[in-house]
Amino acid sequence: MKGAIAGLVALAVLAALPPLLSTYTHNLLTLTFLFVSTALAWNWLGGFAGQVSFGHAAMFGLGGFTAARLILAAAMPIPFAWLCGGLLAGAYALVWGHPTLRLRGPYFSIATIGVGEATRLVLTYWDRFTGGSSGLSLPMIAGQKRLLYWETLAFLALVAGGTWLIRRTRLGLALLAIRGDVEAAGDVGISPTFYQDAVLFLSGAVTGIAGAMYASYFSFIEPNDMLGFDRSISFVLMAVIGGVGTMYGPILGAIVFVLLRQFLIGSYPQLYLGLYGALLIAVILFEPLGLTGLYRRAVRHAAR
Amino acid sequence: MLRVESISKSFGGLKAVDSVSLDLAPDEILGVIGPNGAGKTTLFSLIAGSQKPTSGTVLLEGKAISGLPAHRVVHAGVVRTHQIVRPFANLTVFENVLAGAMFGAVKLHPRVRAQEALDLVGLSSRASDLPGSLTLAGRKKLELARALATSPRVLLLDEVIAGVNPVEAAEMAALIQKIRDARKLSVLLIEHVMPAVMSLCHRVLVLDAGRLIAAGTPAEVTRDPAVIAAYLGTA
Repeated sequence: MKGAIAGLVALAVLAALPPLLSTYTHNLLTLTFLFVSTALAWNWLGGFAGQVSFGHAAMFGLGGFTAARLILAAAMPIPFAWLCGGLLAGAYALVWGHPTLRLRGPYFSIATIGVGEATRLVLTYWDRFTGGSSGLSLPMIAGQKRLLYWETLAFLALVAGGTWLIRRTRLGLALLAIRGDVEAAGDVGISPTFYQDAVLFLSGAVTGIAGAMYASYFSFIEPNDMLGFDRSISFVLMAVIGGVGTMYGPILGAIVFVLLRQFLIGSYPQLYLGLYGALLIAVILFEPLGLTGLYRRAVRHAAR
Repeated sequence: MLRVESISKSFGGLKAVDSVSLDLAPDEILGVIGPNGAGKTTLFSLIAGSQKPTSGTVLLEGKAISGLPAHRVVHAGVVRTHQIVRPFANLTVFENVLAGAMFGAVKLHPRVRAQEALDLVGLSSRASDLPGSLTLAGRKKLELARALATSPRVLLLDEVIAGVNPVEAAEMAALIQKIRDARKLSVLLIEHVMPAVMSLCHRVLVLDAGRLIAAGTPAEVTRDPAVIAAYLGTA
């Protein structure tokens, strides 16, 4: 209850901010909203179900390019194009996920690396769809960025609400049981295939919509940015920094990640990928639950 | 209730279960004993759908359930426990049992039914603890409660008594009896603890090297020369 109120207050404050923001901060906040959404959605699969995906950029990119193509080709409401991009991304996730989700742990993760890279290569060479390495430009519409600020914020609110819903319902319990012991989950009547497929679809669709909104906001996309391996790693890192499997840790993780990324790209453009890796290792070694773990430790310490 | 018709499972050249048939009557507690490696747990895996039989069928009230995936077998009303307990370590005791109540054969009022199952095994006071904080006997009871919460008609218990101290063993045996009486279900029971088998089971099957070598009342099978040979070797 307290959390819900805090969330609503934060939303209200953020929604009121735009008139006060510089273009830089406006961009940064919109980007943060999108990445918070993807980090939450990644965590549904990677955290709740324990299936760590290193290939979510595939859905981010596919959603982005599909929506961009639809916006360029047809005069349809833009949110409808986003939704189509998301649905296609979710469906694509099912196509590769249904056979690979029977793998668990590192085996699944390795498969997702392959999927992510294969998708990047295909989309890079598929000029007629993605414009190849020169990418696609979308028309800029006056006032659209301001509108997108609110739309991405609303999307974030939806995804956060969805996270709460998943955790509180059958789906969440099934996923946590599957993470705990996939065979024992089957032995209490949970179909691992069905629930893992379902969550991968949802996670992929949300990631695809985020990619579509990203395309609209920056009005230029190209495959190596949308589908690069560092994009996939960034989703993992956001969840890991915040706390894999926790409900709202990924929100914090995504915020820290965006800030860190701005700083690192500005100061150490050659090094930042290496630093991501070092950070990933450090968190997993010293505090597997990330910032959420640190916070819980602090609370326990204060209680003593 | 449950009928197994000449079921077999081979792993390469090894016949882990070799053409075993059995009939479990309504309300019956049927024991399955046999030396280590006799194929008892594999037999359970075949019935529960954790593994697919090489040949043979399993019928629940006349309907074939063999070849179904594990979760569908649970929905049909047959549930197993594991010899080495497998609680969901990341969920509380209550959530563990709730998973059974939500996804089992019956799905109505899962919270109420989960609580009932916890009450029945006597774990209510530990509902919000993590399974890791329970003793082995506690985790075995949790395994039992989680299986019960699925509202089974047939309960497959794989060594729920073995491994706990004698006092707890007597308690577990009494608990199994109580569950059978309270829920009117049929129980297939793998067990090494002979006093418990003798007191609980109406009939006992003896497996050795994948084959059924004897069947009868507990008193009968313990006198059977083939059974004695299987356990002790021949003179």
